[in-house]
Amino acid sequence: MSDFNVRSDSVNVEQIMEQIRARIREKRGVDYTEQQIRELAAVKLEKFLDPRGVRSDLLDQFRHAQPAYEPPELPNFAFEDATLFESHRAPIRWMRKLLMPLLKLLFNPNPLIQALHIQSRLNTMNSEREAKRESVRRQMDQLYYELVHNLVVETTRTGIEVKNLKMRVESISSRLEFNERRARALEGVVVYKAAEADEPPAPRPAPPVQRQSAPQVQRSSAPVGQPQRRYAPAQPSYRAPAQVPSPAPAAATTPAAGQEEPSAGGQGQGQGQGAPGEGPGQRSRRRRRRRGRRSGAAASTVMSAPGLAAPGSAADAPGSPDAVDQIEAMDQMDDDGSPDAEETPAASHQPEPRAEQSESRAEEPSPHVEAVPAASVEPAPAPPATHAPAPSATPDHSDPDPQ
Amino acid sequence: MKIAVVVQRYGQAVNGGAELHARYIAEHLARHGQVEVLTTCATDYVTWRNELEPGVEPVNGVPVRRFKVKHERDPLVFAKRSDRVFERRHSLGDELDWLDAEGPTSPALVDYIAKHAADYDYCLFFSYRYYHAYYGARAAGARAILVPTAERDATIGLSIFQPLFRSVRAIMYNSPEERAMIHAVAGNDTVPGVVVGIGSDVPNNPQAARFRQKYNVRGPFAVYVGRIDQNKGCNELFEFFGGYLKDLAGKLSLILIGNTLLPIPEHPRIRHLGFLNDADKFDAMAAAEVLIVPSYYESLSMVALEAWAIGRPVLANGKCDVLKGQCLRSNAGLFYETLGEFIGTLEAIEQNRWLAGSLGRNGRQFFRDHYDWPVIERKYLEMFERLTKDAPAPTTDPLPGWFDRRRQNLPGAQEVLAALPKGPAWRHG
Repeated sequence: MSDFNVRSDSVNVEQIMEQIRARIREKRGVDYTEQQIRELAAVKLEKFLDPRGVRSDLLDQFRHAQPAYEPPELPNFAFEDATLFESHRAPIRWMRKLLMPLLKLLFNPNPLIQALHIQSRLNTMNSEREAKRESVRRQMDQLYYELVHNLVVETTRTGIEVKNLKMRVESISSRLEFNERRARALEGVVVYKAAEADEPPAPRPAPPVQRQSAPQVQRSSAPVGQPQRRYAPAQPSYRAPAQVPSPAPAAATTPAAGQEEPSAGGQGQGQGQGAPGEGPGQRSRRRRRRRGRRSGAAASTVMSAPGLAAPGSAADAPGSPDAVDQIEAMDQMDDDGSPDAEETPAASHQPEPRAEQSESRAEEPSPHVEAVPAASVEPAPAPPATHAPAPSATPDHSDPDPQ
Repeated sequence: MKIAVVVQRYGQAVNGGAELHARYIAEHLARHGQVEVLTTCATDYVTWRNELEPGVEPVNGVPVRRFKVKHERDPLVFAKRSDRVFERRHSLGDELDWLDAEGPTSPALVDYIAKHAADYDYCLFFSYRYYHAYYGARAAGARAILVPTAERDATIGLSIFQPLFRSVRAIMYNSPEERAMIHAVAGNDTVPGVVVGIGSDVPNNPQAARFRQKYNVRGPFAVYVGRIDQNKGCNELFEFFGGYLKDLAGKLSLILIGNTLLPIPEHPRIRHLGFLNDADKFDAMAAAEVLIVPSYYESLSMVALEAWAIGRPVLANGKCDVLKGQCLRSNAGLFYETLGEFIGTLEAIEQNRWLAGSLGRNGRQFFRDHYDWPVIERKYLEMFERLTKDAPAPTTDPLPGWFDRRRQNLPGAQEVLAALPKGPAWRHG
């Protein structure tokens, strides 16, 4: 019901109910209660099952057709010892009893009496057994009919459920398609924004005086969007933001510049390899800031905020493998301390070819830098300039990203 | 002005709907005149056993005069007579016997009304279905005003009540549906009547967070407030909410507030908190996304009005004409009749915050317009004023004679009920 829509300011419950009912009909088909299922199974069975073999009112028909069971009265006889000689007339009974020895003299009637007695008992037993069997059979018949009836009900229920599930599958597949379309559209939007941001900024030659204090200017006053350029695989461009005049307030830049002035002037070329004079506390602060920036940069790119989005390249877009790889590489650099030059002040004085190259390229105008294809550059270790001592007077988001 | 409020039970601990209604009305009318409550000594509506002392005692500043009940209700006799008058062809005598079996049979109360009716300007009789209202209204004559609190059940189809609806001086209805039903069954359109209902003392600022913290409730939830009973539609509520839980899109839990007569389904998203005091109840309503009223039979759902008073939408059972009518008139609640509608409406309220907010706002406005206490009091006072100006027209019909009372010529009450018009009414007031 997520696409349930009410547009007017005044709610009309009747209209809303109509919309809801329409949506139910459209999305779910019809929902049935237990009672409704039974009614459907009993009345409208032909809609769900083949009616040729099954009747909907099985139990009623069965009960109606099958009368109550009464065991049949089969003919039988009783045969005891005196049966042959019985009579309702007393004189005849007396005469038979009197002549009994004479009869027994002529033949033995006992086997005949026994046989007929046994036959009578057998007849009775058979009759009882037959009655029991018939009763059991009828009970089984009841169960079979009950079973068939339940099967009909359950089949009906299953049919309805299958129908509902089919509609649900359709609904889910349409939602899935919609989500896929939306995902593609979002991806398109991200690419479009990144392409917009790829437009190069106006090239400005950096004055030589500013070159000296480039790290401080970068850190304190570069535009928010500029630092992302450091992420760009085009490694030589990492200096470009340093040449842009700082738009940030002087209050933010002055303390940073004042603090970093000696180290920058003192190091000369060595400034690109990190801050030789910085202590372990500064390095850890810098790492913390860097981690914060990484997460912040990712969030900003995700949100695609114009001020926070990376103007550098599409590689900075969320999910971009280049950007991720570079960040990973830089993570390793920072956390492992693999560039020893950064960790130890002594090593930082040793000139590093890559740093020199970066330094020299930084003097070139930025259009030249932009011409380098982003994808052609491998993720590189952090340029030394990024590790210049950075006092924490300036907020993190205004820091140029050292990467 | 002196008013007598006549009701079957009365007291602070008596929480039945009609009884609470009577108490609220008595206490609010007491600000405008002299009010005395006439009631029985019973507190239990099943047995009507005499549990309180007869005599006069004040309850919240209102004098209450109690009378003994002559005999308790015998459930077997009552069930037998109910079956006879509801289901089969019967006589007027059978219906009178049923009324006597139902109770609370208090001839002393009726005698007192007959002797002292002239001491009051008007006698307000609550709940038409009981002994005190039937005989008391006859005893009070032209001073009798009826607050029927009628629901759409078989009792309304009994023939003895039709003259009652026609002979009282005025009727204060709870809802337009109730009025339409009584008009249809009794043909009493000429009897002055107004749809009033009942107000509620809702706190100005219920604390949703306090409720969540106190009962450790997290996430959005729907709330049910009331007795958890089959007669209140709770079985259907459980079945339908079970269906809602199967739908993965829904995130609401169900919180149940009230004493239970049913087993509660065991599910992590269904919680029963038992009986809560008023403050917690209103806090819970404020914290809820929606109040569910699953009852089939309601004369006026006070809990729905309370939810609207604090700006919460209501999801009601559409099979109940009164609730459906309230939702349509107020534009403050949705209703359901099937499982699909239950899920659909619940999800609509849950997922569309604009809709829920608009329904809540409409509900608050509806409550202010029709059920705020000044509105209720004004309607009562206007009716008294109107009756004072108009001459008393209706006269009470005498009871039929011995032979007529035994003539088996009355249809079963269910049959009469089935013939009454159904559906919500649109006009309020």
